[in-house]
Amino acid sequence: MREVAIAGVGLVKFGRYDGQKGRPYKDIYELGAEAIIKALKYADMEWKDIQVAYGASMFGGLGVPNQCTSRLGMPGIPITTVEGACTSSQQGMRQAYLDISNGLYDVGLAFGVEKIPPGLIADTLAPVWQLMMGFNLPGAYAIETRRYMEERGATEEDIARVAVMERKNAIMNPNAFWYQGPAITVEEVLNSRMIASPIRFLMATANADGAAAAIICSKDKLKSTAKTVTIAASAHATAPYGYNVLGMSSHEKVNPKCTEIACKELWEKSGYGPEDMDVIQLYEAMASGFLWDAEDCGFCGPGETARLVKEGYFEIGGKKPANTDGGLMGRAHPTGATGLAQIIELFFQLRGEAGPRQVPGAKIAFNHCHGGGPNGLCHVLKR
Amino acid sequence: MTTNTKKQVPCRDGLWNTPSSPGEKPQLIGSKCSDCGEVFFPVNPVCNNCQSQNLKEIKLSRRGKVWSYTTVMLAPPAYKGPVPFDLGYVELPEGVNIYTRFLGAEPGTFKIGQEVELDIDVMQRGAEGNEILGYCFIPVRE
Repeated sequence: MREVAIAGVGLVKFGRYDGQKGRPYKDIYELGAEAIIKALKYADMEWKDIQVAYGASMFGGLGVPNQCTSRLGMPGIPITTVEGACTSSQQGMRQAYLDISNGLYDVGLAFGVEKIPPGLIADTLAPVWQLMMGFNLPGAYAIETRRYMEERGATEEDIARVAVMERKNAIMNPNAFWYQGPAITVEEVLNSRMIASPIRFLMATANADGAAAAIICSKDKLKSTAKTVTIAASAHATAPYGYNVLGMSSHEKVNPKCTEIACKELWEKSGYGPEDMDVIQLYEAMASGFLWDAEDCGFCGPGETARLVKEGYFEIGGKKPANTDGGLMGRAHPTGATGLAQIIELFFQLRGEAGPRQVPGAKIAFNHCHGGGPNGLCHVLKR
Repeated sequence: MTTNTKKQVPCRDGLWNTPSSPGEKPQLIGSKCSDCGEVFFPVNPVCNNCQSQNLKEIKLSRRGKVWSYTTVMLAPPAYKGPVPFDLGYVELPEGVNIYTRFLGAEPGTFKIGQEVELDIDVMQRGAEGNEILGYCFIPVRE
């Protein structure tokens, strides 16, 4: 295994590219190509330098990643399409990382792209009869949230505080959906309309359009070794028996969650622990997910996240800054691009390029991503 | 169950048994692993816990307790019933949790731990005017 660096990244601001209300129209392929071009430019590399690529889209459908890369010219290299629900593009990055660390290739590309309208989207996570019964993603999160509140004593106000914290960060992030948007208060969150109790509108991520790309390479291929960011460890797990399709606890079983399995492996492999991390990313399509993720990843004990959020522990300037780019509450959720967007924020933080969101002197970073299936991915990045 | 002349079809065969006598009530059908004892719903050919293929079909208890729930305010794409509606899990004595709708009470009035029992209802109208049946759990009223 050799060291693997992130050479460059590209993001297309998360938003709506639908041509409505004065917004620009861009198709999904253009969005993907734009992120790739930005990443190449950042890495000071050319299209012909890429030896392998992993392209992701969750809802895009047939052939979307290849149609994105074809906007740059068909390169003849292997391009694999990755779909792993909300972890899709981070799974792609992990594959590129594995290829390069094992010496199969020297330079790889991972990218993710999505274009999805607001509202509930028909999905294939459940059999038709369950869809007819009303299976839906916010609902599944809501069921888990109610159970979490019952078992660990969290309140709706605790969930609202996560949304408020993340929105505050997004306002400072030019790539976030809510960049320069209004700040929100706990009262506003608690007064926003109910989607699936206890989840309210402002506790839910917004579907969005967007794209993210990263060039991954062996260290000798870097065009500049200043502020090199490496992937120190990577782990990926699916849930064992006892969990539903979203990896949520549909049974009272003792098996660990996929997040817990991945984190255990990650901490063992990396030699680091949660206490060593300067800045972190946690995945939460609904704000309540932040509460259990912080606990499942080992950043605090069972039921402790709510108090820590209240004390400002996870804010920029707090002891363990989290989701500094706005997280899913503020960055929003072009599903296929989200996993890489998380990594890209940590990359900016480690290189000291996060502007007003910068965590001073950040050297080691942690990422958690979660997707239906279910699957959980964790990474440690290091400067 | 509604009574009319429309043909009624289950949303999926094999989820529950059709009563053979008037006094009998429908029950969900699960699988029990003969090796490790775990119970599954719906019927599963392989034990998710120990991967044994030595499973037998069992009729599951009609009564259980609300494990968790949500009141859904937006209709998902494939759902044709009333909105809002309650969705969640019921914990059965066999140790299996069942994904279900909760009906028979105002949405939002169920409580974790509340006793509920199985019912079969018309979920939506299908092709050719058929009524599509689903299962749900309703409050126990003695």
